[in-house]
Amino acid sequence: MPIKWVLHWQPNAGTSVNSQILNEVSQCIEGINGTKDGRWKATLTFYKPMLREHSVAADLPRDFLGISLPEQPNKYFFVIRAQRIVLEADSSIQTIMEKLQSYKSRVSLNFEGFQYQLGDFQLRVGKVVPTHSENLRGIVMEVEYLPLSSIEKSRQIFEEFLEIWQEALSKRSLPGHFMHMEPNFTEYGLPDHYSSQHTAIQYATVMAQLIASVQSVQTMRN
Amino acid sequence: MVFVLQHVEALEILLQGLCGVHRERLRVHEICLKNGPNLGNVASEVRLLCDIEQPEPTWTVKHVGGAMRGAGAEQISVLVRTMVESKASKNVLRLFYALGYKLDHELLRVGFAFHFQRGAQITVTVSSVNKMLKLHATDEAVPVTPGIQLVEVTAPASSETYSEVAAAVSSFCEYLAPLLHLSKPGVSTGVVPTAAAAAASLMSDGGGTTL
Repeated sequence: MPIKWVLHWQPNAGTSVNSQILNEVSQCIEGINGTKDGRWKATLTFYKPMLREHSVAADLPRDFLGISLPEQPNKYFFVIRAQRIVLEADSSIQTIMEKLQSYKSRVSLNFEGFQYQLGDFQLRVGKVVPTHSENLRGIVMEVEYLPLSSIEKSRQIFEEFLEIWQEALSKRSLPGHFMHMEPNFTEYGLPDHYSSQHTAIQYATVMAQLIASVQSVQTMRN
Repeated sequence: MVFVLQHVEALEILLQGLCGVHRERLRVHEICLKNGPNLGNVASEVRLLCDIEQPEPTWTVKHVGGAMRGAGAEQISVLVRTMVESKASKNVLRLFYALGYKLDHELLRVGFAFHFQRGAQITVTVSSVNKMLKLHATDEAVPVTPGIQLVEVTAPASSETYSEVAAAVSSFCEYLAPLLHLSKPGVSTGVVPTAAAAAASLMSDGGGTTL
């Protein structure tokens, strides 16, 4: 499948995300001739272990994530970043997890917004909001390059695209910038050929970054 | 439904004639996991099935729920239970270990299966159950009960359709009656008196006999 990079909005020190930034980013894509062609939504769920009374979760994962992606609606992905595990399963695995009663959903976040076509690229920009809430927790952007599936072969194209994109966005003097943190896919046992499992790992990485930036803002305030 | 049987070749000929489809070879490594002592509100069990008959083994996660109970369940001749399956990537065992699940037991099923439509989407599997002498050593598996095969007839159903599906399964099983009687799991019916004669007849004319 085509390779994509998932980026997150990194606010400048002392600032936070707001919906105005999201509007400006969307306008910027349209300004470089991106055409809107629909909405998208991905969902990320944090699971926590259900423990017997008086027991501790010492050796159980604290970062167990479940992810559903718009391009594979019948699939579901689990990621445990600390142990470098990504699992692809049918979406019925969620029913199995419910029946096992060992882990329960702690919080779910929606990644949702509009998608745009721009030549060989498909862009998706969206807000990160908890389900059943409108509190903006972050902004994400997916850049997908449709002709290629090899991570290594497409690296230069992505870097050049992002250079042009960052330059276009810089004219709007927004208080932050988009960042790409590339996970080490090899550690997860994934090949160079891109798949939805790569996307799931990127979402898990973006989520960790969003949590880290919220925590750093809170630390500064305190 | 479960039964033990010694006339496997005869049953295969009979099934081939009844189903009109070719058999599929079956070689499944089944790993049963249970939750660790601290994890979960209740004791839970999950099965990971690795189909090693395929050139590239495929994995399935399977949860088998409790059987339907009550007067309605007792009146029908088949067992009705919830079952959820999901295909999964090959690292699924590693994921469940990471989640705090422990190996309870593992086994290897070897045999064949027929999948066909006859009032319901019926699957018949005929397999021997083997145990591993060393962890995951499927190449060195030995039969748990030598010479005895497990026959299972299953069909998916929903809460709306289960009575029709149960009837379809029961009626199919009647065709197998000369060779074996199928029973609900855990209930043994013993060897059918006509089995030896029926098997001999099937083997002699390749399944042409009307039973």
